[in-house]
Amino acid sequence: MSIRDEVLSEIDGETIVFCQSCGICTGGCPSARFSKYNPRRIIHKTNLNMDPGDDIWLCATCYTCQERCPRGIKITDFMNLLRRIYIKEKGMPDFIDTLIENLKNAGYTTQLGEIENKRRERMNLPKINTADYIKRILELTEG
Amino acid sequence: MKYALYLGCTIPLRVPNYELATRRVMDKLGVELVDIEDAGCCGIYHEQINELTHLAMAGSIIAKAEDIGLDIMVMCNGCNESLIKANKRLKEDADLRRKVNEILSKIDLEFKGNINIKHYIRVLYEDYGVDKIRKKVVNSLDNLKIAAHYGCHIFKPTDIIQFEDFEDPESLDVLIEATGAKSIDYLDKKLCCGGYVLGYKKEVAYEISGYKLQNIKDAGADLIVTICPFCNIMYEANQRAIESQLNKQFKIPVLHYPQLLGIAMGFSYKDMAMELNRVRIDPKLFE
Repeated sequence: MSIRDEVLSEIDGETIVFCQSCGICTGGCPSARFSKYNPRRIIHKTNLNMDPGDDIWLCATCYTCQERCPRGIKITDFMNLLRRIYIKEKGMPDFIDTLIENLKNAGYTTQLGEIENKRRERMNLPKINTADYIKRILELTEG
Repeated sequence: MKYALYLGCTIPLRVPNYELATRRVMDKLGVELVDIEDAGCCGIYHEQINELTHLAMAGSIIAKAEDIGLDIMVMCNGCNESLIKANKRLKEDADLRRKVNEILSKIDLEFKGNINIKHYIRVLYEDYGVDKIRKKVVNSLDNLKIAAHYGCHIFKPTDIIQFEDFEDPESLDVLIEATGAKSIDYLDKKLCCGGYVLGYKKEVAYEISGYKLQNIKDAGADLIVTICPFCNIMYEANQRAIESQLNKQFKIPVLHYPQLLGIAMGFSYKDMAMELNRVRIDPKLFE
C-alpha cells in the first residue's frame, strides 16, 4: 500500500486531506522553532504520496498543532501513526532500543538497579520490584 | 479522599524527592494513597510504536487499580495522557476492549472500565479545593516569584483529557499562589519543555528548554515549579548541560509543586528531600 493510502485508511491519518496549508501547526511548534522540523510540509508530502522522511521523530507530541488546527486535523496522532508505519517498514530506530531493553529487563523505561532501591531504602520509600508482566505484554503484542 | 497511587517509571527511579514530598504532603492534607503493587510502565512510548502494546500496558495499570477499587492518582503528565487515553478508548470500544482483555487474561488481569484517572494537580484543584489548601499554609511564601511550567499532557489533547483551556490555564498558578508566592507571567509560558525529543535529537530538546529557561530568567523568577518528572529533569538535571550547549548561565532552582506546598505547610527543607534537587536551592529563599 502507498504511504498516502495507508495513512488515509487509519483514523489517526484520514483527516490530513483537509489541510489548507495555513502553517498554524508549524508556527506554534516548539521543535519547528529550533530545527528543520515542519509539520505542514510533512502533511503536504504525505498527501502527495511522498516519503515524509526522518523528521517525523522531531515531534515533541505536545499536541499544540492538533489543538489549534483550524481544519481539525489530528496532526499529533498522525505523526504517531507515521512513526508506527516507519517502524513497521524500516524497523526500530536505534534511539528507542535502550527503552525497549529496559522495559524487557524490568518493566520500566529507566534502569532499575540496586542503586535506585538503596536510595529508596535510605529515604524510607517502598522497594520497587521488577514488573515482569510488561515483558509478557511485549511478547504477546509484538511490541 | 482516597486514591490508588501510580508512580510510573521516572518518579520512583530518578526523582524520588518528588515522590517523598508528594506522599508527605498528601498525608498531611488527609488524602489517603494506596500503592498499586508492582505496576510497570504506563506504555506512553508505545503510542508511537505499537498501539495494542500501549493499550495493554496502560490497561494493565488501570485493571490493577480496579482490583483495589479506587480511582488512580498520577504524578506524571505522560502517565496522565497515556492512562486517560487508554481508559477512554477501552471504555468506548467493545471490540478493542475484548482484544486487550484477551492479552490481559494471560497475566491474570481484566479491564472492566469502572474507574477514572486524575493528576494530583486536578485532585488538589478540583476535588480538595484551593481554599482548604490555603488554610493549611503556616509559612506564607510572600516574597517568592515563581515561574509555573504546566507541561503538555496535563490538559492536551483536550478532547480526551477534558481539564482546562490549554491556551489559558490557571490551576497551577492558583495552586502556587495558595502558598502566598506570586506566580509570574513569562514569554511562551505554555510552550513544551522539549523532553520528548531528547532521545532522538538532544540538541533540539536542549534548545527548547534553554529558550524557556532564558525567558524565565528574564522575567525575574526565583524558581521554577514543575508538575511532571520529565519536565523537571529537562530543567533540573539537564540544566548544566543546557548551559554548556548554549554557553549561558541560568542557575535557576526547580521545585516539584508538592515541595513548594510542603514548605508552605511547615515541612523542612530536608522533609521535602530538597538536598536531592540538583540545582542548589538556598534555604533562605523560604524564610
